[in-house]
Amino acid sequence: MLWKRQIPILIATVVGLLTLFGWFTNNPGIESFVNDDATQWFDILASFAIFLGALNLMKLQGRKVLKQHSGWQYSLFTIGGFIFAIVAGFIYKGNDAVAWGFHVTSKGTLFKWMFDFIFTPLSATMFALLAFFVASASYRAFRVRNLEATLLLVSGIIIMVGRVPLGSSISSWFIMYLLVLVGSIAANIKLQDKIITFGVLLGGVVIVTIWGSLAGWPVDQPSIFYLPMLQDWIYNNPNVAGARAIMIGIGLGIFATSIRYILGVEKSYIGE
Amino acid sequence: MVAGGLALAFVVFLLAGHPGFREERVVMFLAINFMAGTLIYYIRLAQRGEDFYLRPIPGLKAVEEAVGRSTEMGKPVLYVPGIMDMDQVETVAGVIILGHVAKMTARYETSLNVPVSRSIVMKAGREIVRESYTMEGRPDLFQDDMVHYLTDDQFAYAAGVNGIMVREKPAACLYMGKFYAESLILAETGNSIGAIQIAGTASQAQIPFFVTACDYTLIGEEFFAASAYLSQKPELLGALKGQDMLKAFVTATILLALLLRVFNDLGWIDWNVIDFLTVQ
Repeated sequence: MLWKRQIPILIATVVGLLTLFGWFTNNPGIESFVNDDATQWFDILASFAIFLGALNLMKLQGRKVLKQHSGWQYSLFTIGGFIFAIVAGFIYKGNDAVAWGFHVTSKGTLFKWMFDFIFTPLSATMFALLAFFVASASYRAFRVRNLEATLLLVSGIIIMVGRVPLGSSISSWFIMYLLVLVGSIAANIKLQDKIITFGVLLGGVVIVTIWGSLAGWPVDQPSIFYLPMLQDWIYNNPNVAGARAIMIGIGLGIFATSIRYILGVEKSYIGE
Repeated sequence: MVAGGLALAFVVFLLAGHPGFREERVVMFLAINFMAGTLIYYIRLAQRGEDFYLRPIPGLKAVEEAVGRSTEMGKPVLYVPGIMDMDQVETVAGVIILGHVAKMTARYETSLNVPVSRSIVMKAGREIVRESYTMEGRPDLFQDDMVHYLTDDQFAYAAGVNGIMVREKPAACLYMGKFYAESLILAETGNSIGAIQIAGTASQAQIPFFVTACDYTLIGEEFFAASAYLSQKPELLGALKGQDMLKAFVTATILLALLLRVFNDLGWIDWNVIDFLTVQ
């Protein structure tokens, strides 16, 4: 129990306090431990731990092939890829002019070939899938179901259009005419009266037309209806306000969680 | 008493010339001590048996429903603890929630699949799942390979987890940890197989993707509160109450700072609160 419970908690408490309060001291020893040594220790541990992971991967995939579980053929690719990477990394350079160690980044070596022509395209393929997933996710998110979803849809469209070159060519007067149209549709839905709807539409069109004629139809005036300005405002104000609120919550959550670990109140991480 | 003694000692230390102390960080130092003190106060209150009201979090209630659904359908629960290592507090939080989920799967005799992208997370996850199964009295159901390593690489890991999803079709997918661009790839694939999905992360940029693609999302602090909610241990619930009080305090500080800043801009006061609060 002592080794599995008290000692780990003591280590977490001492190192946690040292890291926390080390930030307030100008002692080079403590600063060096907090900023360099502790993180390097972790990196060294993580580097050795990779053997555990690799062995586990090979054990599972090997068992799958030997017992011919469903989809065992895929495991052959995993095992083959693993062996190929080991050979390219440690056994065969493919270019004797390059020294060991430099062969992972130098041109003309097997490892670099594997990286450039197998690993990079495969990673790029996975990353490219995001484009399709963003489209399908956006479709679901932007469906008009309630007020919040409608706000999201409108904000999304303004941000998207306002950030492309086409957005800066759309006159703010066009947006104003569009708003008059939307306003009259809203009036029709709410009041169900054709005369009022027509009145709102005609009044709006007349006001915008007179205003535009007097102002000389500048594309970016009034700026509140100019898409690049509008998207900038949405991005820098409501968006940042919401993001900061979440950030404060996250910060408090991380702080409270860390204090729980340091004080030994939260012991779930050692399985208690 | 202890807090008073420590405060007195700190004042004496400051007056004595505070050797080795970064004077410019004193505001942050006091804030951290005040916040830690508040948390400790509420933890002690909870330990003495005080009852606290905590608002229900739908995403956490849904965790048990998700495991129950998997049990009814006879399909596994897939748990993804993020793609980062144990040096990230989100990964630690994710692994701790894994322990609670493992207790549920042990109770309902549902299979659990935890692909991980870091070897240390694999070891930590394995230990915590083993403990959970033992505590639920079902060590016979535990297998080492429930928590297994895939790869350290981000997109290779996403491809591996997607492969597991489309082959095994888990009824519940839980994403709890630190995520980057792979979040949407995972969540959309989970959505396409019709799994109930619950995500929890403090990765701010990934929250919109999870909100869009998952049934429930634990946003920021809710994610860190999950362990306390699921364990229902009094001292952890006390810490949550303390966290809520701190949030109220931070909100009040923001409003007060806003007011003081306006006064400063109007020239009514010379003191700039932003300079005072900015971390040096």
